[in-house]
Amino acid sequence: MELSSILPIARQELIVAIRNKWTVIFAFVFGSLVLAISYFGTVTAGEIGFQGFNRTTASLLSLVLYLIPLVALMMGTQSFLRSEGEDEMLFSQPVSRSAILGGKLLGLFAAMTTATFVGFGLGGLVIATQTDAEGFLGYPAFVLLSLILSLVFLSLSMLAAVASKRQTKAFGIALLLWFFFVILYDLLVLGGSLLLKERSANYFIFASLFGNPVDIVRVAGLLSMKGGEVFGAAGAALLKFLGGYTQAFAAAITSLILWTVIPILISLRIVRNQDI
Amino acid sequence: MISVQHLTKAFGKFKAVDHVSFDVREGETFALLGPNGSGKSTILKSIVGLIKPTGGDITIGGVSAVKTPQASRKALSYLPQRVGFHDCLTAREVLEFYCRLRKLPISRIDDVVHGSEFNFNGFSEKRVAELSGGMKQKLGLAVACLADAPVLLLDEPTVSLDPAGAIAFRAFLKTLKEKGKTIVFTSHVLADVEMLADRVAVLVDGRLTALVGIDELRQRIAERKQSLEEIYLDYAKTA
Repeated sequence: MELSSILPIARQELIVAIRNKWTVIFAFVFGSLVLAISYFGTVTAGEIGFQGFNRTTASLLSLVLYLIPLVALMMGTQSFLRSEGEDEMLFSQPVSRSAILGGKLLGLFAAMTTATFVGFGLGGLVIATQTDAEGFLGYPAFVLLSLILSLVFLSLSMLAAVASKRQTKAFGIALLLWFFFVILYDLLVLGGSLLLKERSANYFIFASLFGNPVDIVRVAGLLSMKGGEVFGAAGAALLKFLGGYTQAFAAAITSLILWTVIPILISLRIVRNQDI
Repeated sequence: MISVQHLTKAFGKFKAVDHVSFDVREGETFALLGPNGSGKSTILKSIVGLIKPTGGDITIGGVSAVKTPQASRKALSYLPQRVGFHDCLTAREVLEFYCRLRKLPISRIDDVVHGSEFNFNGFSEKRVAELSGGMKQKLGLAVACLADAPVLLLDEPTVSLDPAGAIAFRAFLKTLKEKGKTIVFTSHVLADVEMLADRVAVLVDGRLTALVGIDELRQRIAERKQSLEEIYLDYAKTA
C-alpha cells in the first residue's frame, strides 16, 4: 500500500471533518447520550441519578445501533461523492485511485474515532466518578464495537457513493441501506423464521445473523457483557451453534471484518474502471 | 514527448473522440482548439488518465498513460477547467496538501508563490470559500506549478480569469515555455492560441480536422487577409 500517499489524504479528510464541525457535533451528541441515558435511564422506575456501566452500556447499545450507521453513512457519502473540480485535481496526481479512496476512508474513520473517544470517553469518565466501576470492562468493548460498526458503514457509504454518480441517488441508497439493516432486516428474518420448522428456523436465524452487521454488533455487544439472558434468538443461536463465548465473539468479529473489506474491494474495482 | 495514437472515446453510442492522432514535441506549446463538445477536454483528460479511452494509445515520455496512468502522471501537472478545493482550507493548506501528496518539500510553496513571475501573492492565508473564481483558478495553477513537472496540461486555463489576469497568465505561460516545458492547452479563445501555441490541432465533433503550425496560420492570415476566427471557421466548415 502507498502509505505515503494515503496519510496526507487521511490527514486532510480529518481536518475537513473537524473544521466542518461534524466531529464536534457527533462528540457532543455521543457524550450527551451517555450522560442522559446514565442519569435518566431509570426515571420510569421513579429513580433518578447515574447508573453503573452495565446498565448504561446495555441501554446505549440499542441507541448506538440506530445512530452510528446513520452518521457514518451520511458523513461517508458526503465525502466520497464526486466534486468535479476537486476530484480532477486530486485524481490527476501520481497517486493510485485505491490510495485516494483508502486515504479518505482512513481520514473519516479517524474523525469518527475522535468523536467516539471524546464523546463516550468524557461521558464514561463522568459515570466512573459518580458510580462504582462495576461492569466497566464492558464499556471499552462497547466503544470498540461502535468504532467497528462505524467502519463497516463508512465502507458501505463508499460503495454507495462510488456506485452512483449523482448526489441524490447516492444519499438515497445510503438511507435505504440504513433502513434495510436497522429496521427492515429483523422483520424479514422474523417473518421468514415463522414460516420454517423449529430446527430449520434455528439454522435460518443463525445464518441470518451474518447478513446484517448491525445484528452482529448487537450480539457481540451483549456477548461482551455476558448478558446471556438478553441475547435474543440470534445470540442464543450463535452460542448454540458455535459452542461458547470465545468462538461466538471471534465469528462476530470475523464477519464484521468481512463486512468492511468486501464493500471496499467492490468500490475499488468500480473506481478503477470509472471515468473521473 | 506526448504521443496520441488513434485515440477513441465513446460514451455509449456517442463518439466524443474519434481516432485522433498527434504528437507533441518536447518543449512545444500545443493547442487543442475547437467549439464546445468537440472533444478537447476528453482528449486532455485521457492524457492525464482521468478517462479510460475506448481505443488507441497515449504515451508520455514513452510511458503508456493508458496502461500505467499512475507512472505517466509523474511527468505531468494538470489544471482542470473548473478547479475545486475544500472551502474550509486556506490556500496555503491546499498547497501544503499537494506538496505532501507529491512528496515535495514544503519550501516549494514559497518558490512558487513568491519566486514565480505570476502573482500568486495576497491570498495564501485566505480560506478557499473567500476566493473568487479567478483566485481559485490561480490557486489551481499554483498547485499545478508545485511539482515543476516537464509537461503541463491546461484545460481552458483563462476561462475564469479577468482580462488583466488572462494577460498575466499568458505572460507566465511564456516564461514556462522559455524554461522548456511541454505545454498542451485547450481553448476556444483564439487570442490565447495565437499568442502561445507553436502548433494547433483543430477539432470538430471529436475528429481532428487540421493540425497546423502557428507560423503557417499566420502566413494564411497574411496571404488571405483573413482573421484567425475566419480561418478557424473554414476548418470547422470543411470538417
